[in-house]
Amino acid sequence: MIVFIARRLVISFFVLLAATFIIFVLTAFAGDPLEDLRQDNSPQKLTKIAERSERMQLDVPVVLRYLGWLGRIVRGDLGVNRDGQAIAPILSDALSATLQLVLAATVLAITVGIVIGIISALRQYSGFDYTVTFAAFICFSLPLFWVAVMLKQYVAIEFNNWLKDPVIPPVVIGALALLGGLVFGALTVGDRRRRLVAFAVGLVVSGTLFTVLSVTRWFADPGLGTPLILAFGLATAVGFTALTAGLQYRGPLYATLAAAVIGAVCSQVLGPVLADPTWLEIGGLLLLTIAVCLGLGYALGGLQRRQAMTAATLTGVFTGAMVFLDRMLQAFSAYSASVRHRPVSTIGARTPNYQGDFWQTGLDSAGHLLLPTMALILISLATYTRFSRASMLEVMNQDYVRTARAKGLPERTVVLKHAFRNGLIPVTTMMAFDLAGVIGGAVVTENVFGWRGMGFMFTKGLQEVDPGPVMAFFLVTGTTVVVFNMIADILYAYLDPRIRLS
Amino acid sequence: MTTPPNVPIEPRKGDVHTYDIPSTILDSAGDVHVGLQRDAVRPPSEDEILRVENLSVEFPTEDGVVHAVRGVSYSLREREVLGIVGESGSGKSVSSMAVMGLLPKSARIKGQILFRGDDMLKMSPRKQRSLRGRKIAMVFQDPMTALNPVHTIGDQLAEAVLAHELMPRKNALARAKEMLDLVGIPQAEARLRSYPHEFSGGMRQRAMIAMAVINNPDVIIADEPTTALDVTVQAQILEKLLEVKDAVNAAIVLITHDLGVIAGMAHRVLVMYAGRPVEIGDTDPVFEEPRMPYTAGLLGSIPSLETSGGRLRPIKGTPPSLINLPTGCPFSPRCPLADEVCRTAEPELAETDSGGHFAACHHWDRLAAVEDPTVFFRTESETKA
Amino acid sequence: MTLSADAQAPDSGAEQGMTIVARTQAQMVRRRFFRHRAALAGMIVFGLVLVLAFTSVGFAGIPGWWDQSYITTGALVNQGKPTLSLAPFTIGEHPFGQDDIGVDYFAKTMRGAQQSLIVAFLVGIVATVVGAVVGAVAGYYRGRVEAVLMRVTDVMITIPVLVIAAVLGRRFGDAGVVPLGIVLGLTIWPTMARLLRGEFLSLREKEFVEAARAIGTPARRIIFRHILPNTIGVIVVSATLATANAVLLESALSFLGLGVQAPDTSLGQLIQEYRTAFSTRPWLFWWPGIFIIAIALSINFIGDGLRDAFDPRQTRVRA
Repeated sequence: MIVFIARRLVISFFVLLAATFIIFVLTAFAGDPLEDLRQDNSPQKLTKIAERSERMQLDVPVVLRYLGWLGRIVRGDLGVNRDGQAIAPILSDALSATLQLVLAATVLAITVGIVIGIISALRQYSGFDYTVTFAAFICFSLPLFWVAVMLKQYVAIEFNNWLKDPVIPPVVIGALALLGGLVFGALTVGDRRRRLVAFAVGLVVSGTLFTVLSVTRWFADPGLGTPLILAFGLATAVGFTALTAGLQYRGPLYATLAAAVIGAVCSQVLGPVLADPTWLEIGGLLLLTIAVCLGLGYALGGLQRRQAMTAATLTGVFTGAMVFLDRMLQAFSAYSASVRHRPVSTIGARTPNYQGDFWQTGLDSAGHLLLPTMALILISLATYTRFSRASMLEVMNQDYVRTARAKGLPERTVVLKHAFRNGLIPVTTMMAFDLAGVIGGAVVTENVFGWRGMGFMFTKGLQEVDPGPVMAFFLVTGTTVVVFNMIADILYAYLDPRIRLS
Repeated sequence: MTTPPNVPIEPRKGDVHTYDIPSTILDSAGDVHVGLQRDAVRPPSEDEILRVENLSVEFPTEDGVVHAVRGVSYSLREREVLGIVGESGSGKSVSSMAVMGLLPKSARIKGQILFRGDDMLKMSPRKQRSLRGRKIAMVFQDPMTALNPVHTIGDQLAEAVLAHELMPRKNALARAKEMLDLVGIPQAEARLRSYPHEFSGGMRQRAMIAMAVINNPDVIIADEPTTALDVTVQAQILEKLLEVKDAVNAAIVLITHDLGVIAGMAHRVLVMYAGRPVEIGDTDPVFEEPRMPYTAGLLGSIPSLETSGGRLRPIKGTPPSLINLPTGCPFSPRCPLADEVCRTAEPELAETDSGGHFAACHHWDRLAAVEDPTVFFRTESETKA
Repeated sequence: MTLSADAQAPDSGAEQGMTIVARTQAQMVRRRFFRHRAALAGMIVFGLVLVLAFTSVGFAGIPGWWDQSYITTGALVNQGKPTLSLAPFTIGEHPFGQDDIGVDYFAKTMRGAQQSLIVAFLVGIVATVVGAVVGAVAGYYRGRVEAVLMRVTDVMITIPVLVIAAVLGRRFGDAGVVPLGIVLGLTIWPTMARLLRGEFLSLREKEFVEAARAIGTPARRIIFRHILPNTIGVIVVSATLATANAVLLESALSFLGLGVQAPDTSLGQLIQEYRTAFSTRPWLFWWPGIFIIAIALSINFIGDGLRDAFDPRQTRVRA
């Protein structure tokens, strides 16, 4: 395994090296870096041209310029842009925003996409499947920038306006209830009667939900509260137990229920700790949650100890996430007031000079990330959905899935243990390809939403035919892709024992 | 090779396996033979485990409805070996998949599948699942693809136990090791941690057999268990299958297109063509005195040492489409005996003269009239000579 | 024999058995394609867009039937709003409205669609030809050629397509759509090459290739006459999808100002030009967007239909 990783590392290094050379040369030839100065009518025109030519070494052959750049990079110097500003500080400002955007979009796309893809495959030829397939095709065909502009106009501006008086009009409630009914109905298998019942249930549940949210003006001051956290926690406890161990035996169920209850209790007890925590504290709490849940599963799981530990951990983490969300929502009204009731932002990566506690700054970056992520996620989401659907369909037809059924395994074990893991293998190879796509998308998205991130650095550098910033952008994104590629490879080897040996 | 037709219980290859068959089988089989029972299926008896009655399976497709199985009936008694023979697409696999409950949801299944008197088609899915792998187990055709590549052999064996019985994993693995020993995989302890790709084809099929018998099933359905293997390994695997069957006292439904395998192993044989049973009976009478031209054709098309030097007599043509079945006997387009009757009326399974076996042929008496029924499939060159 | 083979038995049976219906590969593909309703709809929409874009404002010196020009300005009618109305159906003088200086926006959109389509086709053709040849050679000869190809593909994966395309677009964008299409095609061929290499790797081991080699057929003939025709499905499908992606790529580049440059126009360039006009003249933004989606979506559906048609494994079973 270590040899495998080491070999990948060496190959990746040379691949990256070759890529930097290509980008450098192409950028250098992309146009005339002195174009703006040639049209300059000021008396210092010639001095400016000479100065910039000197700084960009325009008289040196491009290969030598590349070698010079490479030499500086090795010493950790990113150089200066054509106006003489050091690139390193610009990069460090741009870096975190863009990486946040790219990683958030990728992680969300992978998890949501795979889940939708699998459900769609298991319900092949159902209404849900057709809808998902059609939606995926739409997503594949949407120009990202166009969607981004639409989101900016309709989601941000209109939504912010609506938030001032968050009453959902009856027509919208009706439409949402209908949608809920359709989703329920499409997800149900069985004859027409069962589907109609599911439709009715979905209709009533979502209708009631949105009416309550509207009447109580929930969106003006949102939050969950301990009872809701407990209810969600218990529901997930039952759900995860049914998925991993089945509800036939009590051990695992007790473990997950305990995890949910402890989580809900903590939302009350941990008040002081959660008042203004740091990310480090949140991380510590997460680790603590996992440890406690593993212990619960071990103690209560009985003969299904393994499954109980998995289910309890998932329940614990999920309940913890609910507590986290609850806290953040509680900070909403204060935050919203502090940004003049325009919480969904359309410009930049954060509100300039914003001061607030942990939750408020969290909301601030969430508000800024929301729209770009939504726009950026569409294509990846469609890709992962389609890919994992196809992969699952292929796997579900394999002989070993039939063998698993012939053994009398319950369907959840057949799907989760035998099909899912094999179905994931081709999806991992997708990840590296897709990340490159997301980075490209981030360039466009940043442009629309006016982020001064890496994408902006790249487009500006390219417009100015200035290799410095372009190369800085590429070093970061290229390394990210390589690292991601490597993670995908390791994951692949972990999932497929046949690869491990070779 | 003339064995009395009524005593088919002895295996043909060697005498390693002696079967202690209760006399009831012989008695009731005798009933059938003297013609008291007009039905091709033997009457229910105490030791009957599996009874399939008038099973039919259809698949709706875009091109039309595929009639994969049409009216298959058979019964299986404890420790009995039933062979099902037929070409690809004859419905032999589909009918056994129906017994396992492994057909896709789109399949339309009719008839009855009685396991010890309970109709499996009417059971709750949960009840059905509890029989699957525990009482009725299956060995598949291609061991290269039937094992999950990403889990260890031990894990895949142990989960078969754990699916039906809650016990510590350690105990399940111990059971798995015992089974690997039983099927003759050396160093079973270490092999539990191997992945399927580290096994040879023969070893994988042994592991599949171990997986099938790990819960002491009553019935093992073996779907062409040796087709995908090297010829040298085939005999070993069949031998092992019989040995293991005895160890766990199971009956076997052996599906194959290899008549030699059937002749060596099965007590009774069911011949299928175009989704229908066309001949059923004890192995010897069916092989010695086939009463359906299709069976005769199959027998004529296998090379053997006895006929060496002589010509093979293949059946001409291909099986019919299961969507647009021809009227009359489905075999009539390829049958040398076919006449107008054959092309208009589909023959029912009916009892024939030879030792209580049943055939679906209008002209079985013409086969009975000749010494060597394969003679109807003479090739042109033979006819000229 | 397995279940799936059982389900497919009717196909072979139908051909050889009682009802003799011999169908060629092409006929089967056509039949399956036309059964794919979304693909058929895609085909119709794409055909309409194609005809509309190339006949309305004229192309390559041939005048079109639309009487307005995409260059000359005119007096504002109806404050530049679209005069198209569905009930009662009238086209009006400027169905898509006019831009801020009074140019007919229908003509402008058609011109943009024309340019975008040319780029997309060129990208599709270049990427397919280069990718197919490289993939075929690498898959057939293996060895060093293959190693080089795989490394090149690795490099191309590390560089996001949009990035390399932007860099090339900066250089060739103002040279017109033809050079732009060609260089963009040169950036996306590795996907096709990789796909085809995989196909060739498996096909070269097949018996018919062995047979051809055994009778001394030259390698070039084996590649192009024996193996390549067997990969036509993969090629056609990925060429289609590459074309759909190219539409989006070109428009994204033009939107960033790194593709087609004014005064020349393309759908993406139109959106870029009028993005700030969204609140005042939203139609300037809507029309090119709708055309991009219509083109990309219809090509994607055609691609899906082709994939279904060429992949006979997918015999659909209806519940």
